[in-house]
Amino acid sequence: MNKMLALMKKDFKLLFRDKMAVFFTFVFPLVFAFIFGSIFSGDGGGSKALKVAVVDLDQTEQSKAFVEQISEADEFTVTLSTEEKAKDLVRRGKRVAYFILPQGFGEDYKGVFAGSPPEVLVGIDPSRKAEAGYLEGSLMKLGINRFEQAFSDPTAMTEQLDASIAQIQESDDIPDEWKSLLNDYLPKMKELTAQEIGNGEGFGFGGEDGAENPMMPLKVTKQEEVVKRSGPQNAFAITIPQGVIWAIMGCVIGFAISIVQEKTLGTMNRLIVAPISRTQIVAGKALGCFVAQIAVVTLLFVVAYFVLGVRFNLPKLILAAVASGICFVGLMMFFASLAKTERSVAGITNAFLLMMGMVGGAMIPLFVMPGWMQAISNFSPVKWAIVAFEGAVWRDFSYGEMMTPVLILIAIGVVAFILGTRMVKLEQA
Amino acid sequence: MIQVDALNKHFGSIHAVKDVSLEIPTGQIFGLLGPNGAGKSTSISIMTGLIDCDSGSVALNGLNPQSKQARFKIGLIPQSIALYEELSAVDNLSFFASLYDIPKNKMSERMDWALEFVGLSDRANDRVSQFSGGMKRRLNLAASLLHDPDYIFMDEPTAGVDPQSRNKLFENVLKLKELGKTVIYTTHYMEEAQKLCDKVGIIDHGQLLALGTVDELLKQYGGDTKVSISSEQGVQHFESGDVSQDLLEALKKSNKVYDISMHRPDLETVFLNLTGRQLRD
Ligand SMILES: Nc1ncnc2c1ncn2[C@@H]1O[C@H](COP(=O)(O)OP(=O)(O)OP(=O)(O)O)[C@@H](O)[C@H]1O
Ligand SMILES: [Mg+2]
Repeated sequence: MNKMLALMKKDFKLLFRDKMAVFFTFVFPLVFAFIFGSIFSGDGGGSKALKVAVVDLDQTEQSKAFVEQISEADEFTVTLSTEEKAKDLVRRGKRVAYFILPQGFGEDYKGVFAGSPPEVLVGIDPSRKAEAGYLEGSLMKLGINRFEQAFSDPTAMTEQLDASIAQIQESDDIPDEWKSLLNDYLPKMKELTAQEIGNGEGFGFGGEDGAENPMMPLKVTKQEEVVKRSGPQNAFAITIPQGVIWAIMGCVIGFAISIVQEKTLGTMNRLIVAPISRTQIVAGKALGCFVAQIAVVTLLFVVAYFVLGVRFNLPKLILAAVASGICFVGLMMFFASLAKTERSVAGITNAFLLMMGMVGGAMIPLFVMPGWMQAISNFSPVKWAIVAFEGAVWRDFSYGEMMTPVLILIAIGVVAFILGTRMVKLEQA
Repeated sequence: MIQVDALNKHFGSIHAVKDVSLEIPTGQIFGLLGPNGAGKSTSISIMTGLIDCDSGSVALNGLNPQSKQARFKIGLIPQSIALYEELSAVDNLSFFASLYDIPKNKMSERMDWALEFVGLSDRANDRVSQFSGGMKRRLNLAASLLHDPDYIFMDEPTAGVDPQSRNKLFENVLKLKELGKTVIYTTHYMEEAQKLCDKVGIIDHGQLLALGTVDELLKQYGGDTKVSISSEQGVQHFESGDVSQDLLEALKKSNKVYDISMHRPDLETVFLNLTGRQLRD
């Protein structure tokens, strides 16, 4: 055991002397998690669109046009859906909010001068205050357009005015003074508009910003839709498991190279001739690789916890770390057995791991992958490692659910380790 | 005593070691002299238990070299510089020492001794990557002596070494003999074999062609001394078993001798006579 520890101590010393290895094993994964996490967690400002589900219950010309407007707006990425589905999407955290345009939306939309402003029901989690404010503002901005349309299209406006006059005559809740004033004013307005039609040119609403208009552009009614907390708490909850994978890959490559290097340097011959068994040599390397992995996982999650606010279930995290440790130690041994030179072992290991990383979700998160890619990802050990870590971080896996990735990882590790130790030739001769 | 009996080793179609038998008494320096690819390293790998032979046997005072007991007694100085370049000399030594159950209190004593022995005490804390070729070779030796082995196998320890380090290494080899160690030394420099070794084996294409002390080998395979005299009559060549006698006579017959040159047979000649080829091309 002492000799294995000596071997491990020496390997760690060597690892830390290799600045590139340290960078790729310890620094790069953190940088990756941090940078990508920050990009994905941009607070909805700028070009980052909020994902919303839109339900059009009105199905009128106006409501359809308004949906169109929302879809075209930079602020939103829109999914059209049914009321049921929209609510579900929001509750599961798949969409930030839903907008429902209720029946009568189109009618109210047209009524610039009378009636009530068109209503939009917004369903959003009460905790998402910032997004809620932002959504409301953006909707209002779109709502203002209805005035502009009304005033810039004289024909539509004439119709509007007629409708308004009729409405005013009929309604009982408008004081008589107002009625007469409006009855006086609106027909004049209509005349003016008719002239404009004759002139053949529209007249603009004036300032492009209708914010000063006393009439409300929209009536936004908020509905609380409590999100069941099953999604990632923040983007770092996704990028930290990815970063962990990069770090683990660094360990695998480092130790696979170190085994081959012992052979090419001839130091392996010193080890073999020394009173230390081959099993001890192999175990020492495996242990070193395992400990290095646990160390980087620990480092990353400590930073994730204290700096990036990522929360996780510790026992499940340990389970994930041990299982992926076993898996990647096995793969490390396997790769080390394939190659004769440092260059080729680095090449093989890099190529394999990068490919497995790409399809396994180390770059693109698994849940945004297209279906076919998710299917392929099942063959990548990286996927199962990420699933295991995510299970401990935000997927809220039960121990039963953890078992799937954990057992797959251990199985891959054991098979690869057995193959690797069978095939590896320690002596150089 | 090292006993090697009828060793054979194939690598695919290459018969790297053919029926090699040797006996090396304790406390002697044995030289294995041969050109590139002769089978020197392969023989050493088998004798140190690094690789298995196809047939034959090796015994180190009766011990199988692969046994744990024997391993404490074997010191292998590999042909390559088998050190971690990015670690300091001390870190290298302490790692290799840790493989040998050396008691903690004796550890630093042994490392100091080894560094002193090869003359690197003042560079102990420098990284190996900053060493010269000769210094690396010397540390390569030191790393194999920490556990005070009885059988020391040196595979071309002077390859790529400057004269200064080479002389230091020669001193080391002779000192090891003084300490009672048995040394097996491979080389393709016949001067080294001639200078250091009590007994020399000449190996080519895996076969041990001749075995004996340097004098025995010269006598048996070296042939006569080559003499040439340049005088007024021109240049005259002859070979002689008794130079003083023959030279005197030749001089008597020459007028105005300008130059006399003699070439005594050496191991190079022995190799040439045995194989029809030069030791090094
Ligand atoms: N691992 C191996 N696989 C195949 N052939 C080998 C192997 N090791 C050695 N050989 C072959 O065996 C023969 C003897 O090689 P060996 O290394 O023992 O020679 P050597 O005398 O040490 O040469 P050098 O002076 O160049 O070190 C050579 O023909 C070599 O090509
Ligand atoms: Mg050799």
